Formats: sequence, C-alpha cells, structure tokens
Amino acid sequence: MRTDGATAEPTGRGDVLVVDHLVRRFGDLTAVDGVSFRIAAGETYGLLGPNGAGKTTIISMVAGLIAPDEGTVTVAGEQMGRTAVAPKRHIGLVPQDLAVYPELTARENLVLFGRLQGMTGPQLTARVAEVTELIGLTGRAKDPTKEYSGGMKRRLNIGIGLLHRPTLLILDEPTVGVDPQSRNQILESVERLSVEGMAVLYTTHYMEEAERLCDRIGIIDSGVLQAEGTRDELVRLTGAVDHIRLSGTGDTHAAAEALRALPSVSQVDVDRRELRLTVGDAPSAVAQVVTRATDAGMSLADVEITRPDLESVFLHLTGKALRD
Amino acid sequence: MRPLWTMAISDLRQRARDKSVFIFGIAVPLALMGVLNLVIGNLLSRDLTPVTVAVSVPVGDEAGQSLVGTLRSLGDIDGVGGFDVRVRPVSPSDVRGLVAGDEADLGLTVPDGFGAALLQGAPKDVTVVDGGGGIENDVVISVVTGTVDRYRAATVAATAAGRVGLPASDLAAIGREVATSLPTIALTEGRASDEQLSTTGALVAGQAGLFLLFTVGFGVLGLVNEREQGTLARLRSMPMRPGLIVAAKALVSFILGVVATTVLLTAGSLLFDVDFGSPLAVAVLVLCAVTAGTSITFVIARIARTAEQSNVAQSIVALVLGIAGGAFFPLNAGGVLGTLLDANPVGAFIRGLGITSGGGGVGDIGVPVLVLLVFAVAMVGVSRVVPDRGDAL
Repeated sequence: MRTDGATAEPTGRGDVLVVDHLVRRFGDLTAVDGVSFRIAAGETYGLLGPNGAGKTTIISMVAGLIAPDEGTVTVAGEQMGRTAVAPKRHIGLVPQDLAVYPELTARENLVLFGRLQGMTGPQLTARVAEVTELIGLTGRAKDPTKEYSGGMKRRLNIGIGLLHRPTLLILDEPTVGVDPQSRNQILESVERLSVEGMAVLYTTHYMEEAERLCDRIGIIDSGVLQAEGTRDELVRLTGAVDHIRLSGTGDTHAAAEALRALPSVSQVDVDRRELRLTVGDAPSAVAQVVTRATDAGMSLADVEITRPDLESVFLHLTGKALRD
Repeated sequence: MRPLWTMAISDLRQRARDKSVFIFGIAVPLALMGVLNLVIGNLLSRDLTPVTVAVSVPVGDEAGQSLVGTLRSLGDIDGVGGFDVRVRPVSPSDVRGLVAGDEADLGLTVPDGFGAALLQGAPKDVTVVDGGGGIENDVVISVVTGTVDRYRAATVAATAAGRVGLPASDLAAIGREVATSLPTIALTEGRASDEQLSTTGALVAGQAGLFLLFTVGFGVLGLVNEREQGTLARLRSMPMRPGLIVAAKALVSFILGVVATTVLLTAGSLLFDVDFGSPLAVAVLVLCAVTAGTSITFVIARIARTAEQSNVAQSIVALVLGIAGGAFFPLNAGGVLGTLLDANPVGAFIRGLGITSGGGGVGDIGVPVLVLLVFAVAMVGVSRVVPDRGDAL
C-alpha cells in the first residue's frame, strides 16, 4: 500500500500494465499529475474517484488514445503510444460511451472489431458466438443495435472489448446508466474475467462496485492518485474499525462479560438492552459473537454490522465525499 | 490495407441502411435537375415566337421592297434557325392603328420617294412603331436598323461620288453596290467549352458537380459521428495506424461520390436527353472531380468538431463552389476573379463535360483534369496546415 505518487512497486506476479509517472495537461489544467500504478495478470484494479478526477484521461493514455505529456505506459512489456500498434493488440477498451454502431447488428459489430483486431475465419465466427452468448444477446444478435435497450448496448460494449481475449481489459465506468439487472450481469462478467486470468483496469465512482470487484483500488482525486491498496489496507488508513451491535432481551451484562473474553473483540459497551462491540473483522467474528451472547443468556432480536467503507476512506484522504 | 477495407465496407453498409446517401446523393439532385430544367431550361432555351409587322411601302419602291424582303428572310437564317416574321402590307395611315390595336407587333413605314432619295444620296427616314413586345421585336428592329444603315452608307457613297464629278448613271450603280455587297470581313462566333453543353446538359452537369460535393461529405460526417458516439475512441484503440481511420472515411467518400455522380450523369442523360460524349473521358472527369471533392473533406474534418458543424461547413463549401462554378447558371469574370472561377472544381468539371459533349476525348480534357487534380493536392496540403480542432487525424 502507498499513499503518494511514488513509483509503483512490481506486483511480483508478472505485471501486465505499468503506468509510470503519467502527467497530462489541457492548457492550464493538469488533469493527471504524476500517476503511477501496476496491474498483474488476473488482477482487477479499480480507479475510484468522483467525476472529473482524471480517470478517463488516465484510461485514454493507457489505451493509446492520447499521448502523455510526461511518463510512460507499458502494456505486456511494450510501450504504448498514439501510433503504437503492437501494445494495442493486448488491450480491450470498453469506453464510457456506448461505442457501438447503431445501424449494425450485434453480430456485425463484433465481427467488425474482431477483424480490426486481426481475427479471421472460423476463429472469429466461433469467438463471436461465444461472446454473444456470454453477454446474453444470442437471441437478438441479428437485430440492429439501435433497437436495443441501454443495458443491452452496455453489454455489447463490453463484449466487443473482450472479444479478442485481451491481456488487459480496460473498463471505463461500464455501469453508468444501466438498470440493476444489467448492472449485476456486467459485474458478474467482470468477476469471471478475473478468474480466467485477465487483468482488468476498472474505473468507477461507485464505491460498491470497487469493493465488490477490485483486488486493489487506487483512490484518485484532482488528477492525483491519493492512495492505493486492498480495500482493507485503505480502510486501515482511516483508523476506523468494525462494529457489531447486538440488541435483545435477557442478561446483557453476562453476555458482555462472555464477549469480552473473545480475542476478536477489543471492546464491549453496554447500553440497557443493547451491546456495541468493537471487533477486528466483523464478518468473520459475527458468528462466534452471536453464539457466545446466546449461550450467556441473551435472547437476540437484532444483529447489525457496521464497517468503515471506501466512502469514509475517500473522505479521510480528500476531505470531501466521493459523490461531491 | 485490410483494416482500411474492413472499415470502409462497414461504413458503406451503414450508409446504405440509413438511406441518407440515396436520398441526398441521388434522389434530391435528380428532383432538383427536373425542377431546374423546367424553370431555367425553358427560360433560357425557349423558341422565338412569330412576329407580325404592319408594313407600308410605296408602290414601285425597290429599296423599300428590298427591306421587306430582308424581314421575310429572318425565318431562314442559316445555322441559327431564325423565327417567323409575318409581313402585313397596309396603308401608311393604318400602321399605328394596327400596332395600337395589337393586330401587329411592329409597324414599319417606308416614306414616299425612299428609293429615289437613296439613288440621289438624299436623306429619308424609315419610321418604326414598336408595340412593346419581347426579344422578337428587338431582333426585327435591329435588322431594320442594320439594313437602313447600309442604305445610308450607300447614300453617302453616292453623294461622295457625285461631288468628285462622276456621271449620274454611275452614282446609282455605286449606291446599289454599297447597299447590296457582302462584307469582306467576317465575324465568326466561337463557343467556349462549357457552352457546347445544351442548357439542360449544363444543368445536369452542374447539379451532378454540386451534389458530388454534398455526397463526399458523408465520409466526414461519418468521422464526426464516430467521435460523437464514442466509436472513434474504440477504433483508435485498435492495433492499426490512426491515419487508416481517416483514410477509410476518405475511401467511403470517394466511392459514394463516384457512384452518385455516375448515377446522376447517367440518369440525367436518359431523363433529359443529354449526350456527354465519350464514356471513358467522362469517367476520367468523374474520378478527378470526386478526388477534388474528397480532398475538401480532409480540411473540414480538421475544423469541424460536431456533426452540425460538419454539415454547415460542407453545405457552405458546396454551395459557394457550386454557384461560382456555374451549377445553376454560367458565371464569367476576368482578372483574379476569373482565375479563381477557373480553379473551381465544379466549373472545371462542367467545362470538361462540355468538351466531351462536343466530341472531345481523353486527350482533350487535359486542362480541366489538371485543374481538378491541382485543386485536390492543394486541399490536402491545406488540411496538413489547418489546426486539428476535432483531434481527428
């Protein structure tokens, strides 16, 4: 874990993407200021930050759409640039916009971009069918995409990005404006890709998505990578801890005594019929806590876990809320 | 080259599906050709209507009868076609009344002693009464004026001869000779190449040239649309040189331009009975004109940020070049302006078609072809200098 713009250390698992001290200015505005990070094979890395934080500009440089003013991007060992061809074979870009052709069918969109990626013949045909199935559009594959719902277009947008099995899949806010059902499908798809060994760079301003999908998260604000690490590492930065609240009837004092004896519980406060416990890791401790309290004669009516989240991390690091 | 054709074919498929090329590249220009042919074509090429001239000529006056004969011969001017002049002999007192009563378009009164005065070198006036008609009246008056001027020249010659002491019998011969002899200096009317097209032919060629500039704009529009809908970013993330994207759009412009222009010229020829001559020479002209038109799209791609800006810029360029090039009516100018008009691709295209229409082959269209190709090179050069406002190239 780190909390400044220093050079990112190798992940030790074969880095697919190395971003080193990227700087990009637009006139007087420095949109990206010295950002460095690395992504290993099979890792999902999230860039979490509010709108305008610089996420899309970083993505644009990683995908070779714009050139950095300073710094380098290396994909699978090859340096990325606007006119570079070789490193672009390793990436699959899913832009924030619905980058599909409305007059073409889903299948025609997939075939077009597959060909541009160098795929041909039976290999292309088979992969198109496979991806169409993966994104749940088999039944509508021959319909013009202008007739699709927003969620279907989003899924096709992702399907095009992963058609050629890229080493690095870049997803720029892929769930913006998507209904809950499609959103869940998209998130499940990304989880599967990570399992298959694909490196994923995922930008979002939805804290829940970053927590669910990402192995490591970079917190970005005003073009600066404020901190990066696993969710738990980032949470620890805030000094905040997990809490379990138990409420019910019976002998709360006896239950409090019994719970204080647990190694995972660092503090127990009693307030009439309610116990408030401070624990190291609430999800792993909760079963033992409930059993011990019940055994001590407390009849539980409600159990509530409170954990510090990335919202509080962002607030801690930047002094403002994530959705500001 | 494979990505180039992959993108171009996909683009053509989309253009075919949204039908905009068929509507704006073929149907609209054909409809406009028809309308313009009805309006301007008839205006410019209508036949002259017959004219009735009430003429009073003294009996036995040979010079007066000769003048009337000249009027009657207007219906049979060699090579021009002429028009019918109906001469109605009347008494001098009836001339004005007939014209005023619309029974005659013109009145002509040859005074008594006209022929004798001519022989003696004395002045005499021929009176013309204009009924206020159109161009036909002007033609008749011009002919009468010209004939009377020749008679006047004869009078002057006879008078001069008398003053130097020639006998009276010779004076009449001199006057007759001057009045009836053919000119020794001839003025031959030539025809500029674009004038070798009929009015309808010029309209078909002009509209094809004008709408060619609109049709090639679909390539630029496609590029700007890609930028707006986000597919340009995806294309630029593909493993290929970024310049291929623009090249694919230019290829689409070129193909659409060639197809639409060929269809327009062919349909225009069949519908409006126009013969543009050698198909090979016409094909060369079409290819060069489309190349010139496509080159403009490179400049517009650099300056237009949105589809709306692209449409506006393309329309302005097409209309300015179309009007200046004579897509609606011929424009002529001298000096710098004339040179600019000559460098206009629409004008060069029409001139080239004028040459082929007049029987010229590939070897005869060198100048318009050169103009078109130089224009294309110049536009591509300009596109490399103009700042890229849309980050397109």
